[in-house]
Amino acid sequence: MRPARLPAPMVVATGLVSGWGRGLEALPDRAEEAAAGRPVIAIEGPVVVGDRFRRASRECLLAVAAVEETLQSGIPREVLAGNRTALLYATLSAYGASNRAFIEGARATSLHFPYTAPSAVPAEVAIEFGITGPYVIFLGGAPAALSALWYAGTLLAAAACDRALVLAVETFNECADLYARGRWLVGRPLVEAAVAVLLEPGAGVLTYSEARSGRRVRASRSTGRRRLGEAFACGPLVELGLARATGAGPLDLSLTGAWRGTEAVLRWAEARPTWSQKKFSTS
Amino acid sequence: MREPDRVAVVSAGVVTPIGQDVDSFWSALVTGTSGISRIERFPVDDLRVQRGGEIKKLARERAGETPGCRASRLLIAAAEDLLARAGGAPLARDARRIAVVVGTALGGVEEGERALAGDRRPSRLAAALYDGPARALADWLGARGPVLTVSTACASGATAIGLAADLLRNGVADSAVAGGYDVLCRFVMKGFDALRSLTRDEVRPFDRRRSGLLLGEGAALVLMEREHDRSARGGGRLGYLLGHASASDGSHISAPDPNGRGLQVATRAAMKQAGVGADEIEFVSAHGTGTPLNDRIESAVLKRVLGKRADRVPVTSIKAHTGHTMGAAATLEAITCLLAWRHGQVPHTLNLEEPECDLDLVMLGPRSCRPRISLSTSLGFGGCNAALILEGA
Repeated sequence: MRPARLPAPMVVATGLVSGWGRGLEALPDRAEEAAAGRPVIAIEGPVVVGDRFRRASRECLLAVAAVEETLQSGIPREVLAGNRTALLYATLSAYGASNRAFIEGARATSLHFPYTAPSAVPAEVAIEFGITGPYVIFLGGAPAALSALWYAGTLLAAAACDRALVLAVETFNECADLYARGRWLVGRPLVEAAVAVLLEPGAGVLTYSEARSGRRVRASRSTGRRRLGEAFACGPLVELGLARATGAGPLDLSLTGAWRGTEAVLRWAEARPTWSQKKFSTS
Repeated sequence: MREPDRVAVVSAGVVTPIGQDVDSFWSALVTGTSGISRIERFPVDDLRVQRGGEIKKLARERAGETPGCRASRLLIAAAEDLLARAGGAPLARDARRIAVVVGTALGGVEEGERALAGDRRPSRLAAALYDGPARALADWLGARGPVLTVSTACASGATAIGLAADLLRNGVADSAVAGGYDVLCRFVMKGFDALRSLTRDEVRPFDRRRSGLLLGEGAALVLMEREHDRSARGGGRLGYLLGHASASDGSHISAPDPNGRGLQVATRAAMKQAGVGADEIEFVSAHGTGTPLNDRIESAVLKRVLGKRADRVPVTSIKAHTGHTMGAAATLEAITCLLAWRHGQVPHTLNLEEPECDLDLVMLGPRSCRPRISLSTSLGFGGCNAALILEGA
């Protein structure tokens, strides 16, 4: 059986917060040159404030900030609320800091333990925006984000939701010494990022394949990496956002990702450009 | 359900504190065997609660032939059981068409504890990533297709089975090994101890005296194929996955929604996908952790979903037998549904003597009945909810 050809979802909006700044426009042309030898490009300072977030981990706040950025294009918050919005989250690293703080005792209390779970990040987003629809969390490098995008396509095609918010967060700063020990596994520069892509049903063709090559070549690779740097699951979402932002016509691209011998390809071919006509109403 | 969408569960494999293969697991369930004991593998003296469902010795372990990471070893032990039960036939003609989808709440966090304690081996660090054990399983199986790790906390084992079904239905893979695992380690014991979620008493799901959960460890896997492929290849089946769904609560970082909103959405969506009405569900394998909040919310949701039949559908929880095995729990509970059909018996909820609600809770001993269509419900940290609808074959 050949992989099913799903309708390619429409990319409604993208929001990005990264070590380079806010938005896609903050990305340098070449991340490696812009890093000038720095191993980690961290996101500085608080990104979201509020009493509800007083115990939330930094990765949770970045996730909320990325979704807020997505809404900057004029989408009302209410659009996301309810059980017709799916929330699909991908990460490789955004539990490392909270796990480490708990293990080493810096944040080893009952208040902090729930934040050690990878599910804490999308949970804060779901709570903040009232999202109660289909909910899956994928762990891994860039292929995990491609799996999340594909799964969003299946949910939209099956009418299991009306829109899908695909989210990725990667943080490195608190574990920079560990990543330095694991240089053979990860690329440089490691760039902290949180990116959200809002998808709705569209026309065209979406196909997905993933296979293990068995080759012990580069551990991590993804489209989007040239401008963003190494940001694992964030890479393909940024590439999708860049393609949407720079192209006037229908999207026609292959998003690729590799991680520890697994290579994934998501072919995204829109039949017609639909996003610019999108109007939102909360009525 | 349209025939092309039907997904067969071909085989299962488990490793648990009460049995290290499907037969001994089932036997322990129906005889009311508890796997709870004092934890011996790591220090617990400073913790309020020092018991759990610990696997004392892996029966199938052979020195030097399996990875050093315990999580990977549990998964591989379950896979050995699964393959033995699948009759030794290859999982698929083409290894690139075999998917591995594994759920976990903790991944390789125990390896992270060791890495931070001074073990500087790069392999230790790599194993600490939560997706490491799924890759180790894929390598051991020789699977070259998609390798997905999902982490919807304690609902992970159900999410993985549902996702695997979607990979099959959409033709991304021809067979899928799916399930969940988690390892008891100091990290998680310390966390739940701090939360005061662990009981010093026995685990008593749905009992008015319940006072908390105890953690356990294990791995559980199922082999899944599209039914029309299975028919063409021949061979047996354990059952079918008719429907699945997930939903977020969007209400609290660790506690379930007080009204069970997400669980209800997920359960109704799974029933809709399966084309199954409340009057067709014959058994519920509940999440039933034994915490005051979970069991109250879950029983209220089951009453709403099952409607008039809520007091006539047998409900059981296996968490007093095994402890809460986190990422493995939902897969173990799904397998329990299919075994109940096969053996014509529903296991009882261990330690349940004074039921709090008027659901038809199976207690004091196993019940003779043959539930063809079952519901399995799961909840987890972060407002994760998942439901599976299964049919025995």
